[in-house]
Amino acid sequence: MKTIKFLGLTVLLSMMSTGVILAQKTGLQVMQTVYNLPSGEDTQAELSMVLTNKQGEKRVRQLKQYISETGGVEKKIMYFVSPADVKGTSFMNWSYSTGKEDDQWIYLPALKRTKRISSGSKGDYFMGSDFTYDDLGDRHPDQDTHKLVREETVAGKACYVVESKPKTSGHMYSKTITWVMKDNFIGLKREFYDPNGKLLKTLLVKNYQKISGIWVILETEMKNVQKNHSTTITLRNVKVNQGVPASKFTERSMTMGS
Amino acid sequence: MLTFIIKLLMKLTVKKLTTYSWITLLILVAGSIYFVREMKNNAYMETDLDEYMPAQHPAFVFSEQAEEWFSIKDGILIAIENKSGVFNPETLEKIKDISSKLQEMSQFEENDIMSLYTADNILGTEDGMDVQPFYEEVPVQPGELDSLRRSVESNDMVHGRLVSEDGTVALIAASMKDDVFDEAFHAEILKFAKSYNGDGDQVYVAGRPIVEGTMGMLGPEDMKRMVPLVVLVITLVLFILLRSFRATLFTLLSVVVSTIWAFGLMAATGVPIYSVATMMPVMLIAIGVAYGIYFYNHLNQYRLSRPQATDSEAVVHAVKLLWKPLSMAAFTTIIGFISLVTSQVYPIKYFGLFTAFGILVAWMLALVFLPSSILIFGSRKRKIRVHDDKPTYTLLNKITDKLLITKKISFTVLVVVIALSLWGLQKVWINSSFLDKFEPDSEIVKTDQFVNSKFGGTSTLNVIIESDEADAFKQPENLRLVDEMQEATEELAKVGNSFSLTDYIKRMNKVMNSDEEAFYTIPESSDMVAQYLLLYEMSGDPENLVKVVNYDYNKLNITFQLKGDDSKTINEAIAVIESYTDRFNELGLTMKYAGSGYKSLVFSDLILEGQLWSIALSLGMVFLLLALMFKSLKAGIIGSIPIVITALISFGVMGLADIALSTTTALLTSIAIGIGVDYAIHFLQTYQVYFKKTNSRHEAIHATMHHTGTAILSNAVVVIAGFLVMLFSVFPPNRMLGLLVSMNMFTSLVGTLSIMMILVYVSQLFKNKKSNNNSISTNNENN
Repeated sequence: MKTIKFLGLTVLLSMMSTGVILAQKTGLQVMQTVYNLPSGEDTQAELSMVLTNKQGEKRVRQLKQYISETGGVEKKIMYFVSPADVKGTSFMNWSYSTGKEDDQWIYLPALKRTKRISSGSKGDYFMGSDFTYDDLGDRHPDQDTHKLVREETVAGKACYVVESKPKTSGHMYSKTITWVMKDNFIGLKREFYDPNGKLLKTLLVKNYQKISGIWVILETEMKNVQKNHSTTITLRNVKVNQGVPASKFTERSMTMGS
Repeated sequence: MLTFIIKLLMKLTVKKLTTYSWITLLILVAGSIYFVREMKNNAYMETDLDEYMPAQHPAFVFSEQAEEWFSIKDGILIAIENKSGVFNPETLEKIKDISSKLQEMSQFEENDIMSLYTADNILGTEDGMDVQPFYEEVPVQPGELDSLRRSVESNDMVHGRLVSEDGTVALIAASMKDDVFDEAFHAEILKFAKSYNGDGDQVYVAGRPIVEGTMGMLGPEDMKRMVPLVVLVITLVLFILLRSFRATLFTLLSVVVSTIWAFGLMAATGVPIYSVATMMPVMLIAIGVAYGIYFYNHLNQYRLSRPQATDSEAVVHAVKLLWKPLSMAAFTTIIGFISLVTSQVYPIKYFGLFTAFGILVAWMLALVFLPSSILIFGSRKRKIRVHDDKPTYTLLNKITDKLLITKKISFTVLVVVIALSLWGLQKVWINSSFLDKFEPDSEIVKTDQFVNSKFGGTSTLNVIIESDEADAFKQPENLRLVDEMQEATEELAKVGNSFSLTDYIKRMNKVMNSDEEAFYTIPESSDMVAQYLLLYEMSGDPENLVKVVNYDYNKLNITFQLKGDDSKTINEAIAVIESYTDRFNELGLTMKYAGSGYKSLVFSDLILEGQLWSIALSLGMVFLLLALMFKSLKAGIIGSIPIVITALISFGVMGLADIALSTTTALLTSIAIGIGVDYAIHFLQTYQVYFKKTNSRHEAIHATMHHTGTAILSNAVVVIAGFLVMLFSVFPPNRMLGLLVSMNMFTSLVGTLSIMMILVYVSQLFKNKKSNNNSISTNNENN
């Protein structure tokens, strides 16, 4: 059962940095620092997701989402704002640190009913995007072996370049290479390689900002170079630790819109 | 140019002739070495059927585009059969294993492997929806196996598609990336699949790439088998006709060299060997040999009349006499093949072009190499044999008289045969099937039939519906019409099932309404459709939707699975689909077709069109050539009659005997015209000579029947013998072609010696209009 992490925010948060500057680090230490960055207790944001296929057609979706993490339960709710024909559709996910299977609900305004969804689907890609559920979730550094391959400057930023290979076989990537900025420990770029060792996708962080004392990535693009398909996620009006009431994460609240 | 060279040669001295002979021999050897090297380095067999189609044709351009939009790819189908049902741990383990191993192969995209193991089971539950794989760990308990079977049976998206309705066969469908299927992979995938045989499981491999691969394997094999066979048969026939080991050898050598040059040029110009081209050696050998026979016949005739003549005298005289009629014969044959160039179908076009080149080479060799060979190697003086064609003389003349007296009967027979042929002509149909190129009891055909009997079908037809308005396919009325059209088409016996966006929407509607069968319909509102689609994207596999609808929801791909790749099957389906055109247009929707099945159909239309054009072209050119050669329109018309009759009968027989036009048999008529007209040319030319000499129709016709009758008879024997070798081909259409060409040669022969002979006689061809006396005297001959 995969933990569904919503729309890249978690991975983005996990890349946030306290700005601790360490001396020469190992690959593992770099990735652990990235992983251990604190995230806010709750977040809310307006989000837009643009999918571009190889024909250049675009699919644009606007959402409003809320996330809160309390007592080992991560609760998320998202409302579709556009396109018009799905406006009001909402999706809620509770994921448990105990490893219990996620609870998911969907509300379809046309059906006027909230339904529970359980999904053991192997469908890897989230909502037709280039992000897999894995890409969106935080992968614990212990699952991979890490190697600091070099340090280099990308777009004027000094970066650690870390190569990570999964310890167990059967993972969908044979390796990833991550560029982590030295000053704030935000991952700036990541390359994903397929099981045959060929470059599959490239993740680029295009915009980030410190909000309420925490680094938040505001724009990111994932490009599947083999399929010539890309996904851009942009956050606006991000609020961190502003207090989202527990009543937001209920079936009733799903039916009421954002 | 060549005419000039030949004329020049005739003036050369013996010494110079010998030098010249050595030079030609050297050029020949050098050329052959070059072409053999080209063949070794550059020749390759083209089996990708897409490469057979004209890429710039609008139908193909659109299809390619649609294939890109919706990732329409040809797939390999691996079927695993267990007579006592596939729901046992061993078979399920194999399905899982095959699926995961295919996913790892670089020839496939992970997402393109569809099987019971990889499929999503979207289920409606009381309070919601459940998306699960059918199994991850192979179930072993009887209870688990039973519940798996039940969930398969209740899921229309899997039942009858990935597991047969009787539960005894499971299918693993693997769409291939473009241009990755080659001989090595074909062998690898077969070996891989077959390794799962055993434990009561039988594994079958089908699908278009496999059909293409098998063709690619069998084609060269067939050629390897046919070439020695045709050489053997021709050697025998040649030896019987020429009675000289040396002449037989050199004639054979000349046709083998012409074949090498034709294939060598193909390799040098980068043209691949298409499946039809594998028939080229047989054709070039059968046709080219006739030229050698003409040469040696002329040579021997000269020797008979002048036993004391030297080799060079005999050779020069033979070439002098031969070059004109031989050139005519060769050029008409070349016209027949060149006319195939009008075809838009590349294999046919190239087949025509390179066979024509081969014949050109054979013709040059007959006029250059064969004479040279005698000048260099000498020739054995033949014992002068007593004429043994006396009985033929009497027989042919008896026949001539009989025919002339009973000409009304001949014409009546002709009219009946033409009427029958015209009737048969209407039954001729075109078959673009590639499966029909194989033996009905071959493994590939049997596998295909088996998979077709258990599943929707191994062939596909894609219908692409487009609208100018975005979100058109979220509109229930549009979807309902699509659904109705799908259902109506599925009624056809040869249409197994169909698949489109409507299937997903109906499934989602049912699932979200507690799995009640009554909700297996298109919902009432477009918002509902949009929300279902969003839900499917979030919970199912969004990649699946990409294969049925575009991002703007105004291009739709409907896939029909057909139980045959022949034109009849596809046309039947299209007829039903087309009946919805008006209703789609009313909704602002347009319909087009795509996919390999449809391309085959367009392809077959192009074959027919090309066939008609090349017949018209070759007939026209042959008529023109005859008329010019004999400076008489009448001669043009009369000379064309035997081949027109031949073409008619050929089509008539094809219609009556249910032989379809295919890429192979489409070559037939042009070939028949090209070779068959030789008989008329020889006949008319001889007749003209004798008529001028004797000024008597009667004497001229008898002399012509005696001399030319014998010559064209032996020509027909050689060509027919050569083409009959094709009866040993592994490909049924090739056998059919051999048989039909042989039949056509025979009709041409009979047509020339009977109907044309009568017409020549009756029409008083070549008669000088001013010489009335002759006319009276010839008229009197009849009395």
